[in-house]
Parts: sequence; C-alpha cells; structure tokens
Amino acid sequence: MPGLLEGVKVVDLTHHLSGPYCTKLLATLGADVVKVERPREGDPMRYVGPFAPTAGPGVSDDSGSQSLVVPASHPDAARLREAGAWFLYLNTSKRSLTLDLKSPQGHELLLRLVEAADILVENFAPGVMERLGLAYEDLAKVNPSLVVTSISNFGQTGPYRDWKAQEINLYAAGGLMNITGEPDQEPLKEGPPIAQLGAGQNAFVATMTALLHAEDTGQGQHIDVSIAEYATNILENALMQYSYSGQEFTRVGNRGYGRAAWGIYPCQDGYVGIIAGPDQRWPAVADIMEREELADPRFASRHGRQINADEVDALMLPWLLDHDKVDIFKAGQDSGLGFSFVATMQDIVEMEQLESRDYFVEIEHPVAWTLKYPGAPISPHLDRSSQDNSSAQAAEADPQTWIYRRAPLLGEHTREILLEELLCSEDQIGRFKEGGVI
Amino acid sequence: MTTPQPLRNLRILDLSRIWAGPYCTKLLADMGAEVVKMESLRVYDSHRGPVSPARGIAAYPDAEPGEEPWNRNGWFNCLHMSKYGITLELTSEPGRQVFEQLVSISDVLIENFRQGTLERLGYGYDQLRRCRPDLIYASMPAFGNSGPWQGYVAYGIGQEQLSGMAHMTGYPDEGPMKSGINHGDPITGSHAAGVILAALRYRRRTGQGMFIDVSQQESAVALLGGEVLAYQVTGQEPERRGNRSPYHAPQNAYPCRGDDRWVTIAVKTDGEWQRLAQLIGGDELASDIRFLSNDGRLKDQDALDRIIAAWTADRDAFDLSELLQQAGIAASPVLHGPDLLANPHYASRGTFLEVDHPQVGPKWYPGIAWKMSATPGRVHWPTPTLGQHNYQVYGELLGMPEQEVQSLEEQGVIGTKPTGSRII
Repeated sequence: MPGLLEGVKVVDLTHHLSGPYCTKLLATLGADVVKVERPREGDPMRYVGPFAPTAGPGVSDDSGSQSLVVPASHPDAARLREAGAWFLYLNTSKRSLTLDLKSPQGHELLLRLVEAADILVENFAPGVMERLGLAYEDLAKVNPSLVVTSISNFGQTGPYRDWKAQEINLYAAGGLMNITGEPDQEPLKEGPPIAQLGAGQNAFVATMTALLHAEDTGQGQHIDVSIAEYATNILENALMQYSYSGQEFTRVGNRGYGRAAWGIYPCQDGYVGIIAGPDQRWPAVADIMEREELADPRFASRHGRQINADEVDALMLPWLLDHDKVDIFKAGQDSGLGFSFVATMQDIVEMEQLESRDYFVEIEHPVAWTLKYPGAPISPHLDRSSQDNSSAQAAEADPQTWIYRRAPLLGEHTREILLEELLCSEDQIGRFKEGGVI
Repeated sequence: MTTPQPLRNLRILDLSRIWAGPYCTKLLADMGAEVVKMESLRVYDSHRGPVSPARGIAAYPDAEPGEEPWNRNGWFNCLHMSKYGITLELTSEPGRQVFEQLVSISDVLIENFRQGTLERLGYGYDQLRRCRPDLIYASMPAFGNSGPWQGYVAYGIGQEQLSGMAHMTGYPDEGPMKSGINHGDPITGSHAAGVILAALRYRRRTGQGMFIDVSQQESAVALLGGEVLAYQVTGQEPERRGNRSPYHAPQNAYPCRGDDRWVTIAVKTDGEWQRLAQLIGGDELASDIRFLSNDGRLKDQDALDRIIAAWTADRDAFDLSELLQQAGIAASPVLHGPDLLANPHYASRGTFLEVDHPQVGPKWYPGIAWKMSATPGRVHWPTPTLGQHNYQVYGELLGMPEQEVQSLEEQGVIGTKPTGSRII
C-alpha cells in the first residue's frame, strides 16, 4: 500500500512523547521509520502504564503500586513493556531495532542506516548526540542531504539549554500555565502533555519542510525544535495583549476572557461548553434556556456579558442543571450556536460522529489485545470528490494515505534490518548479540 | 539576507479564519510559502475584531482601537505576517471570475468555513478541480465533511472539551477547566500544515492533487490517543490531578515571594528527591521514611506539598529555579507575559520578534516556531492591512490591467474598508 511518504526513510532515535509523536506522523503517512532502542530496555515510555492486562481489556491487574511506571527490573517487564497504552499509541507503524549506540559496532551500524536515510529525528538532552559522536556535522559527513530534527526542552542553544524539565515546567516556562486556572488558585497545567505533543507536531511540519528542500536541492540541515517555544508560539492572547497595551493577561477560570457564557458549566450528567457567540446569536440562548431575562439588552454584547457575568451565570444554571450534556450540545448547535460538552473517554470511544467517520482503527497486538486507536488526525482523500463523503468511501480511501500497523515489540525487526538492509551475516549478528550491541 | 526559502515554490490561497487555518498557513508562510489571505469586505476574518469596538480593549495598541481597528488588533496581527492580504466578494459575478483565476494559479486552497459553505457558493472540490486539476484542497470544518455532526460548529475552546482534553484538566476534586488559550486551533493547524506538505510531495511524484478532509475534533483527539487506549485497557476514566503526575511525586506549582509568583518543581527519581530534601530540610527530611520511595511520595503528596510550599513561599521563583536546576532538579518559574519578553533565554534564541506594522508601530510577536540551520524562516513583512495587496496580487500575480482592478474596487468587489460589521 503506498502512503503519501512512500520511500522516505527515517532513523528514529526518539523516546518518551515529543519525538515519538513526530515520527508516528511520518510512519503512519507511509515513511519507513526505524525506531532505534537501547538493547534489553528500549524506550522508557514502554514502562509507563496503564498496561493492557493479562486477562484482556478492562480487567485490572492490581500491582499494588501507587505509580503507573514500572521499573525495567519488574518481574513481568518483558510483557508490560509491550503493553503500555501511550507507548502502543505513539509507536504505530514503526519498526524496532535495538542498538547500543555507545559501542563502536553500534555506532558503525547506525551510521550505515544514516547513509541510506532521508531523515533522522532525536530528542535526547542537548549534547548527548555530540557525546555519541553523532553531532549534526558527523551525520552530514556521512549523508549531506540528511534532515536532522532535534527536539528538546528549551532548544539546542541559550542559557536554559541544559535545564531539566517535565511537562509542567515547560508549560510554565512557555507562558501557558500563568493563564490557565482560577485567579485565586495556583496556575494549572493541562491534563494531557500538550506542550510535548504539540512540539512533536511542529517538528513534523519542520521536518517535512526540510525534506522538500532536500529533495529539491540535495541540501540537508539541522532543525532545532524547543518544547517550551512551542508553548510561546501559540500564546496569541497573553503575549499580544501585553505587547500591544502593556496589560497583563491573567487567569479567568472557566470564564473565557472574563465573560459569561463562554466556557464550561455543570449540567445534569456532567459538564457542557456554553459558547454564546457571535452576538447576533445570543438571543437564541434565552430561547433555548426558556429564560426571557437572558434577552435583557444589558447582556446583548460581549462586554455586557462580561460586566454582568455573575447575573448571566445565575440565570443559565437552573436550566443547565436540569438537562443532559448531549441534549444541551445539540440544542445549541441546532440554533447555530457552537455549544460543546466535556467528553469523557467513554463518550469519545462511543461518539456517533467519530463512529460514522470510521475514525477509530482497530489494531490487533499479541500482548495488548485488540484496541480502538484514534486514527488519522487529518484525512486526505486521493482523487476523491468532496461529494463522495459517505463513510464507506472515506474508509476505503483512508488506507491509501494512513498506514496503521501495531507498535513493534522491542527489537522485533533487529534481525530483518541487519540481514536485509545492513547486509550483516548470521555470524556477525550472533557476535553483536553476545557483545550486547543488539 | 537572501537565504533560500524552503517553500518558495508553494502558493496557497487561504480563505481560513480565526486561528486554526491561519496558524497552519503562518507556519508555511514563515518558511517562504506564498500565502494569499483572501477576505470578504462584508464578513472579514472575525479575529480582526469588531468594526467599532469599545475603547479600552487591551488587544489594541495602548487599548486604543484607532480609526481602523480591524488593522490594529494584536490577536490578528500575530498570525498573518509574510502573507499577502486581499479582499474579494465571492457572491458577485466578477468576484467569482477572479476567484477562479486565483484557484487556477494556486497549489493549495485552504478554508475553515462552516461545513459546506464553499460548496453552496458553487465551489465544491469538483468545481475547484476544474479550475486547477491538481489542486490540493484542505477543508477544515469543526467535525469534518461527513457524519451526523458535519453541519455543527465549534471553536477551539469546544475542541478542548470534545477531545477529552478538558475532562482531564482541572484542580483535584473540582470540575474540568478550560485552558487559557484554545488548544484545538494550533493542534489542527499544525497537523494540517504537515499533511499539506506530505500531499505536496505526493503530487510532485504522481501529479495528483487531493481533497484533504480535516475534522478539527479528530485532530484534537489524536493528541489524547494514549488516554483513549488507557481507558479501554483499564475501564477507568482519567482523573483530574491538578498539577500532579500519576507517575512521580512531588510535582506542583508552589507559591513564591511576590504577587502571583509560582515555581514549578517536578521530581522524578529518588536521587532528585534526596537533593531537593537536602536543600529544604537537610538530613532530617532526606531520611524521612515516608518519602524515601516514589510510592511513598505519591501516597503522601499533601504532606509533601505543604513542606515544599513552606520552603518556597518567601523565596524568589527565578532564583529558586536556578538553584534547583543546579542541583539537577526539574524546575521553572511560571512566566507571565512581561517575563517572556524580558527572559534572557528567549532573547538569546530570538524566540520573539519585533516587527514594525504601519498602523501599530514596532511591537513584539511570537516568532518562527523552530530553527533551521540552512534555511531559517523569517518574517518578510508585517500582517497586511485589509486588502493591502489587492493591486499587487490582482495586478502582478494575475496580470490584470490597472483599470480592471480599479473597476473591481468601484464595484465593491474588492477594497480596503469593511462594508459590513457582521462578525462570525
């Protein structure tokens, strides 16, 4: 099956979240991604749970541990490392090669892979690649048209280059945390690791840009993506407000930009998003909620709803608490309002819209069972009319552009890559194994 | 100055509005793509703000909207640098003819109207392909171009909710919380930019264009993939943990000296904990058996957080971060807007750029999203004012005689002043 990136070869030295998401996008679009992992242990993300349980999905294995992370020395590690939910998701469609990059033979084998590759992606701490003798200059010597993409916390230069960071620190340093949460409580990070995954996305765009340039000109280059800078790059409101008027943008909780009816509210069975815009649609809110008082001209403008936010909230709440989230969502949408609801994971897995578009891809795995994976974030349809948008046809078109294979077992493709692509002999492979190179 | 621009041969006709589409084309324009941003004078990009906004809104320079507020809104002006700005009324016959010519010379057309809007104007993928057979057409409505919700609308804030992001975000034992921005928009924009480039590469090889169906919702759920699988393997919904981690402890934002000042600290290993404990409470805390193991620290996080917060409360967030980093512990201050622009790290990397806009003056903006050694992107010019490049695009690019462009202007098909105030 051809993918959009058929024939593109990627050497993937990434681990954890940001780098693997970048290479997942490349892999599922059809590039051949070889995930190079440390022998015996592999990507540390393999040890992050929850894990698919032995008895099948939905049955919990009670380890008694407080943490979702298990040590590589865990007695059941050989099974668990193939069954971590995030690892499974982030590494679809890749091949796994174990290689000790610190050994001379491992180093040599990697350079041979690099020679034939179009792209190398890594997210080690800055300086590690140099210490491994794999600085950009070393790689470019072997392959001048290679695109090397480095993702790191703060970038490859600058005073914070060597700062350690988890998602929370990056969200804070990137300016996003200061504007998330309640004004009288501590600043809040997002639940999911958005800064790291977003940086992985942007690394994918940068890599594609450089790939097109390399294919045009033969010129490779080094890309430097900083996760903290991803956060700063999407700070439209907070930064611009300060830059333009010197006024600081602060936390406003769930009241978008400080106004009522632009944020999250409780309802009978969960939470909904009430988006009372644009202004000309506001009168519809009074109709939906059967509260004439909401049609008061004092509330007709954004500004009016901002200065009377408490009053507006108090008028909306009784109706909201009396209705279900999906009904509220649809009542708003049917009146042209962009209402939403806070979807739980169960809501997402069962969502009629996603089902009808065949969004989920069922992937079988020998250890992790068959699970429903979120599929294409974007659906290119080859030579297809926008009118042919029935789900059957969409499903038929997708496999041509997005290619889904389960995440690889640790070292699953080591032998195949060494034998067929690096043309090693059985003898050599045996010696590599004994020496701990693979 | 003339570094080669990697996307110099890519022309994008950009009908997108607000943030998701504009972020996509911003990333591509920064890399040299020729992005022609097309707006209607009747219904311009609502990110420009109202035609007559109230005074005192901080998105305008010195909170003064000025005579042409639509050209002076910072939220808009940070997203369209290096793009060409044109106006065109698609509902007029001469406008339609010009539009078809624009499509015929474009590689990519991108829009994020309500689903079906362009098709109702007579420009579905099939009609557009008649103008440009190998067109790459990216259509990005909220829920994609099929399914029972295809006609529904959503803003980025809605996508945070419908993707599961909001469900996982919030203080422990409280409700879900929106972020300070609308994460759904840049997530969709970035995904779309990468896939458009992949489609372009495919077209170079095969000559085939394609229809790219973007559901902003699906794009956002893709970032929650691990949680979607986690739910299936455990049958449990993710918890709202505030700033804490399910993997390690302590991790939180701790109060510091000053008004609304905080330091974030994340301890992953026993060694890191030992070093932090030594700094806070010497041997006594470092040997406290409750906290020796990660399991113990996870179990007793409330006590742990109280001890750390008491230590940080009268210290400076920046000094503390330096101190902790020197000890090999992940820490960072919570930066405010002014901190970002004054920060030596970002200054040294040119993370923010000062750009002089004719109606605004020199101001700071988020810069190029990444660094490239051979083909660094750059800002070519500030965000165009409404219709600023009409003569350049219609005259030079389409080769229309000047009288014809003038005639379009007289008929109100193009122009530089809004003719409506409807904000969508």
